[in-house]
Amino acid sequence: MKLAIALIAALAVAALPLMTSSNYIIGVGISALIFTVAAAALNLIYGFTGLLSFAQLGFWGIGGYVTALTVVTFGGNFWWGVVWAALLNAVVALAIGYPTLRTNRHAFVIMTLTFALLVTLIARDWVDLTRGPLGIPNLPKPSAFGYHFGTTGQYYWVAWAFSMAMLGFLYALCSSRIGRTLVAIKQNEPLVRAQGIAPMPYKLSAFAISAAVTGAAGGVFTFHLGIIDPLFLDFYYMQTFLIIVIIGGAGSFWGVIAAGIALSALPEVLRFSADFRMIIYGVILVVAMFVMPSGVAGWLRERQLARMREQLR
Amino acid sequence: MSAILEVTDLRKSYAGVHALDGVSLAVEAGSITGLIGPNGSGKSTAIDCISGFQKLDSGKVVLAGADITGQPAHHIARAGLMRTFQTVRIYERLSLRDNLAIAAQQFDPATWIDEFLRTRRYRQAIDKAEVRARELVELIGLKRYWEIETGILSYGQKKLVALAAALMPHPKIVVLDEPVAGVNPTRIREIEVALADLNRAGETFLIVEHNVEFITNLCHRVIVLDQGKKLAEGTAAEIHTDSRVLEAYLGMTPEMAEAEMRGAA
Repeated sequence: MKLAIALIAALAVAALPLMTSSNYIIGVGISALIFTVAAAALNLIYGFTGLLSFAQLGFWGIGGYVTALTVVTFGGNFWWGVVWAALLNAVVALAIGYPTLRTNRHAFVIMTLTFALLVTLIARDWVDLTRGPLGIPNLPKPSAFGYHFGTTGQYYWVAWAFSMAMLGFLYALCSSRIGRTLVAIKQNEPLVRAQGIAPMPYKLSAFAISAAVTGAAGGVFTFHLGIIDPLFLDFYYMQTFLIIVIIGGAGSFWGVIAAGIALSALPEVLRFSADFRMIIYGVILVVAMFVMPSGVAGWLRERQLARMREQLR
Repeated sequence: MSAILEVTDLRKSYAGVHALDGVSLAVEAGSITGLIGPNGSGKSTAIDCISGFQKLDSGKVVLAGADITGQPAHHIARAGLMRTFQTVRIYERLSLRDNLAIAAQQFDPATWIDEFLRTRRYRQAIDKAEVRARELVELIGLKRYWEIETGILSYGQKKLVALAAALMPHPKIVVLDEPVAGVNPTRIREIEVALADLNRAGETFLIVEHNVEFITNLCHRVIVLDQGKKLAEGTAAEIHTDSRVLEAYLGMTPEMAEAEMRGAA
């Protein structure tokens, strides 16, 4: 039933370019799709596994640069660029995750933050590779099977297909027993160990998968923008992913998907008042956190629990 | 008589303080063994070292003939030693059913691929675990909470959930760290009966507990620790009359203890 609704919703979302010819609206749609994927990936490591990772911003940036460089510098195509972005990020995540995850959760947060800053520095200062602050402009839109995704409307299908594939994969993962084990590790790690489960492979894999998906999403988003420069590592992106996860409800797959779509659209809907729109956006977030400190999904869950307690009385 | 768990000369010190100063103990297969002692006598350190939650300085731990000394906790659990914790540990935001399922999952043959693709092997494994979980839930009397998050249960009920989880994979031995501390008296009696039933069905227990009556009623053998050393060992009756135990544990001489018991009767 849930899946049937999800399928219908997915098809409805796919139809956006048929309903409007406005590149602006379609562009917002692409952002919504890609940000939702990146937020779902953050949800895997933060919401499910309980590890707050700021490294997502670094993975996002590495993904963008790897995809762009694959096409511009190394003469590959866009599709391979996205694959390389995912693979390289997985390897990087394993390399930084293996030592870092042996420390505690707080050290992990600091290490991931440092990593994100480091990637920003590399993007800005390794001019030979990244062209520094000038960036790499004029990224060509991809084509497949002789079809060129040249316009924003056409590229929307690429973003749509990518998002659906990634969200489908993450859903299968999060709803499996692996996802439940991640939740168990978040809730009570000593108990998990006492039950014969080694937490490390789970945490490390979640981190690597999260990195790979985020990197691929960064690659797809770069080619929507058509340019990559160090601004692609602006903290704005990390903040957006994090807000989506927290408002949606960390650890809830569907809550984060719904929040991803809603919160990507919200700042645009508020454009009727250009001067105040970010202020209104901020106020809405603050109020949302006051009313629902564990996000929309957490709020629904609390209500359900309260009903259960009532019944058991 | 064969020991399922054999611990030899366990030593552990923190910054010069000997928490364990050469403790040896054995648990017979099919028995209930009690481990008692005053606060700070090293009981909890002993079971933390045995179950791999703390590194021991020296000594040897053998479980069913296999040397498990110094192995990480998850290896020791896989070898067949399941434990509970003094401050109850369960997955409070998961249902009772999931709590029990997770406790058994490492012991079935399903791999990550099986789990991701929900293969036949995976489905068979979870069906088998579910049968066991339903049995245990029946035993601990929490059937009506099957689908409900365990966070809403009472403290005593949570202890029962932790006990059931430890029993899920048919372990060789279950180590219980203060199973009835903080539990109300009626519930203590229920736990006592449940443990006795399980023991008759063949389960082996090592129990750390402060509640002397509970230990006396249940345990075949009792080991007393004091200041990191084994002070005495024997049946509950023998321990009750041991002057060293009374002095260390209760601060009483045998005469005083006898007088008190007469007074109570």
